[in-house]
Amino acid sequence: MSATRDDVGGTPLPPGWAKPAHQPDAFELTTTTFEERSAKTMARPFARAAIANATDHAAALTTAKFVGTDHDALRDQARQIRAHAIAKLPDYLDQWIDQAEENGTIVHYAADESEARRIVAQICTDEGIQRVVKSKSMASEEVSLNSALEAVGVDIYETDLGEFVVQAMGDRPGHVIAPILHRTKDEVHELFSTMAGHELPNEAEALTAFARQGLRHAFLTADAGISGGNFLIAETGEVLLVTNEGNGRLTTALPDTHIALVGIEKLVPRRSDLAVLLPLLTGHGTGQQITTYVTVASGPRREAEADGPKRMHVVLLDAGRSALLGGEFEEALHCIRCGACQNVCPVYRQVGGHAYGWVYGGPIGAVLTPLFRGQAEASELAQATTLCGACDDVCPVKIPLHDLLLGLRRRTDQDGFVPRGERLAFALWGQIWSRPLLYRASTAVARGSLRTLAHDGVVSAKAPMLRRWTAGRDLVVERLQR
Amino acid sequence: MTDRASFLAGIRSTPRGVDPGLLDRQSAPDAPTQLRGGEDRSDRLQAEAEAASTVVHRVGASDVETTVVGILIGAGAQKIALTTDLEPFAGAVRAAAVTAGLDVGTYGEIAPDRAQTGALDATVTGCLAAVAATGSIVTSAAGAGRAGALIAPTHVCVVRDDQIVGGLHELFDGDVLAGAGSLFALQSGPSRSADIEKVLILGVHGPGNVHLVIVAPH
Amino acid sequence: MAVQLFPTCLGDVVAQQTVVDAERVLDALGIRHRRPIGATCCGQPAFNSGHDAPARAVAKATLKALDDGSDEPILVPSGSCTSMIRLHWRELFHGTPEAEAATRITRRVRELSSYLAEHTEALSALNPSLAVRVGYHDSCHMLRELRIKEAPRDVLRTIAGLELVELEASERCCGFGGTFSGRYPDVSVAMADAKIDDMEVARIDVLVSSDPGCLLQLAGRMSRQGTPVRAVHLATLVAEALA
Repeated sequence: MSATRDDVGGTPLPPGWAKPAHQPDAFELTTTTFEERSAKTMARPFARAAIANATDHAAALTTAKFVGTDHDALRDQARQIRAHAIAKLPDYLDQWIDQAEENGTIVHYAADESEARRIVAQICTDEGIQRVVKSKSMASEEVSLNSALEAVGVDIYETDLGEFVVQAMGDRPGHVIAPILHRTKDEVHELFSTMAGHELPNEAEALTAFARQGLRHAFLTADAGISGGNFLIAETGEVLLVTNEGNGRLTTALPDTHIALVGIEKLVPRRSDLAVLLPLLTGHGTGQQITTYVTVASGPRREAEADGPKRMHVVLLDAGRSALLGGEFEEALHCIRCGACQNVCPVYRQVGGHAYGWVYGGPIGAVLTPLFRGQAEASELAQATTLCGACDDVCPVKIPLHDLLLGLRRRTDQDGFVPRGERLAFALWGQIWSRPLLYRASTAVARGSLRTLAHDGVVSAKAPMLRRWTAGRDLVVERLQR
Repeated sequence: MTDRASFLAGIRSTPRGVDPGLLDRQSAPDAPTQLRGGEDRSDRLQAEAEAASTVVHRVGASDVETTVVGILIGAGAQKIALTTDLEPFAGAVRAAAVTAGLDVGTYGEIAPDRAQTGALDATVTGCLAAVAATGSIVTSAAGAGRAGALIAPTHVCVVRDDQIVGGLHELFDGDVLAGAGSLFALQSGPSRSADIEKVLILGVHGPGNVHLVIVAPH
Repeated sequence: MAVQLFPTCLGDVVAQQTVVDAERVLDALGIRHRRPIGATCCGQPAFNSGHDAPARAVAKATLKALDDGSDEPILVPSGSCTSMIRLHWRELFHGTPEAEAATRITRRVRELSSYLAEHTEALSALNPSLAVRVGYHDSCHMLRELRIKEAPRDVLRTIAGLELVELEASERCCGFGGTFSGRYPDVSVAMADAKIDDMEVARIDVLVSSDPGCLLQLAGRMSRQGTPVRAVHLATLVAEALA
C-alpha cells in the first residue's frame, strides 16, 4: 500500500510535475523526409558538436575496452547465441513462459502495438494504478505507451534522467543509450527551473539532484513500475534489465506492481549466455566494464522477502518481429540495442537520431524502421547510408547491416517504392553502358560537356544536371597531361 | 486479446532460419569480465570496484564493525538499516552502531513504511557473492531485499573473501545464485549518469556513496 | 610479365590523369600493360542502389571484355570497383551463364596499390622522391571489404622525402557513397567537411587515396572551400615522385 503522497522521503512533487508533458502523437517519419529532419539537426551547431563528440568518445571507449581480449571470438559466440535463440524462438518462448508462470509472473501477449497499449492500460485500470514510474524502454516508445496510459488517467514519470528531460520537453530520445545527446545543459536548466518554480544553479550536479529529489518521491509513491527488458532468460523465466542510474532497480523494487514490456526477440537460452552478452552490451554501449546495475527479476516477491512487487506482469511484444523470422532480414532480430552502430556511423554523426523519424536511429534504425513500419512509410531510410560498413565492423553480434541495407534497397525496388524516374534512369544507363561503343560515345560526350562547363579544370557553376553536386562542391576534372 | 496459443502459433508457423546450435560452454574466449590467469580475486575485485568509484576497505573479521561504523559516521549518516544477509556480522555491527549513537533498524521491518524507508541515510548489507572481474556485488531479494542496497544515499556492503568469484562465467555457471529469491542484482559502484552534456554525476537514483568491506580469511 | 589496367568509368570521365599516371608507374617498373578492349563499368552504381538487372547488364559487358582467356592480372585503380568485382560479381552472376567467368575474373583482379606493394623493392630502386607531407584516406570498400590498409602506405614509404602522417579520421567515410552524394548533398558535404577538418589539424599538403570517387568528393569540397590541400590518387603521387 503506497504511503500518502506527501509524507515520504524526497521533495514532494512540485506543481509543474503533476502533469508531465505529453509524448508527441505522431512520429515524424510519416510527415517529413530524411532530408528535412537531417536539416533540422544540422542547423543546430551545439547538437552537431555534441553528437560528434559523444559518439567519437563512446566509440573510442569501446575499442579500448576490448584491447587484450579475444574480442572477435566473443562476438562470434554472441552471434551464435542470438542466431540460435531466434532460430528456436517458439521453443524458447514456450520454455520462458512456463518458467515465468511457475515463478508467479502473469504473462500477456501483444501481437501488435495497439494490443500492447490496450493490455497495459487494462492492467492499470484493473489494479487502480494512478501513478507509474517508468524505466527506459525502447519497446514502449515503439508502441507509444505513455500516451495510451495518459488517456486512462495515469500519471507517468520517466525516471531515466535523459528520458525524464525528453518527456518534460515533449521531445523524443536522440540516441538509444544517451537520450538527450542533442540537448544542452542550458536547455535542461531552463526546463528544471521552470518546473521548480525558481532558478536552479546551472550545473549538472545541481540539476541532477533536482531530478533525483522529485523522482525519488515518485518512486516512493508510485503504484506501478513499468520497464522494458534487455534480455529474457528462457531457462529461468527471468527478465534482465541494465541501468547505470538505478532507476531500473527502484522501478522493480518499490511499487506494488511491476509491468515489463519486452520484445520477443530478446530471448536468450541460459543465464550462462549472459557471460558473453553482458560484456558486449556494456562494452559496445558505453565502454564500461559492466553497467552499474544489472537486475534479474524472476517473478513477484516471495514470502519472507522484505520488499518487492506483489504482482509482476510481462507483456510479450511481437509487433513485426515474427514476420522477419526465416526471411532475408531475420538477422536484424539479433540486435541487443547496444547503440554501437550509432556511435560509428558517419551519417548519424552528422544528422543525429531524430533524422530517422521513428524510435531507432543509425544503421539499425535504417533497417528496423522499414521492416517494422513498412515500406510505405520508411522506404527512404535504406538510402540514408553510404554503405561504408563501419557498423558491420562494430556490431557485437555481427549483424551484417551493410548487406541488410543493400537488401532493403533491392526490396524498395521490388516493392515498387523507387520513383519511376530513378528506375528509368538506371534502365537507360544499363542500355547504354552495356554496349561498349555507346559507352565510349557517352563518356566522350560527358568529358566534352565537363570541359565546356569547367574553368581551370573545375566545374563550379550550378549546371542543371549537376545541381545537387555543385550546390556544395566543385566538380574537379583531372586535366590530362600525357 | 491474443492468448498464448494463438500468439505462439503465429510464431511457430513462420519459416525457420539457420540454427548454428547451442553454444558450447566449454570454450570461453577471453573477455574483459573474466579473471586473468594467476590473478588474485580480492586484488582484482578491489581494482575494479575502485575504478567504478567504490571505496574499498580490506579488514580482518574482528575489525568489521569498527570499519563499518567509521564509514557511517564519516558519511554523516544517522538513520541506518541492516539487512538479513549481513550475517554473521549483523550483531556486532548493530551493537557498535548503537554505541556510536546511530539509529539502527532492520530493513525487513522498515520496508513496508515508505516514509521511514525514504528517510534512511545508509544501509549496511552483505551479499550473495562478489564478482572480481567486474568489481560487483551480487545482492538478492531474499537477502537484502530488492531495495535494501539501493534506497539510501550511502551503502556499505560486507563481503567475505570466500564469497568472491572470478568473473561472470563463474557467477552464472555455478550455484552461487541459488536461494536468490525473486530477484538478484549486480551492483558495481555508485549510481551514475552522464546524460547532461556527458558530465558524469554520481548518485542519481541509487546511492552515490558506496563502500565495500572485504573481509580477509582467517 | 604483363598486366591489364581497367580504367573504370570514373577513370574514363573525370580521372583520366589517374589512369595515365598508373600507366607511367608501370612503365617505370618495366611492366607491360594494356587496357582491355570493350570494358565499360563494373556495375556498382546500380548494384549499390539495389537495381540488380541494369547492374548485371553493364557488368556483363565488362566481364566479357576481361574474360579473354589469359591469366594476366587485371589492375584496377579503384578500391570500390575492385571490391565490386572481387566480392560482388559472384553474387551478381549467380545462376547465370556468366557465373564461371565471374569466378575466373575474380581471381585475376587486383586493386592497384596492393599490386604495387608487391614491387616496393623495385620502386625504391628507382629512387622516387618528393618532399611533401601526406595523409592517406582509407576508402570504405578498400578498408572494410578488401581489408587493404597497409599496401598503399607501404608504397608511399618508398618515396624519399615524403612524410606520411596518420590522419585521426583516416578510416571515416568521406560522404561520397555514390548516389548518396546526390540524394543527400548537405549530409554528404558535412561528412566531407569532417574529413577536411581532420586534414587541417594534421597540416598535410596532400591527401592521397586509392578511390576516384572519394577523391572527386574531397577534392570537390576542398576546391569550393579553398582548402589548400591537394587531393590526388596514389598513382599520380608515385608518378610525380618518379618523374
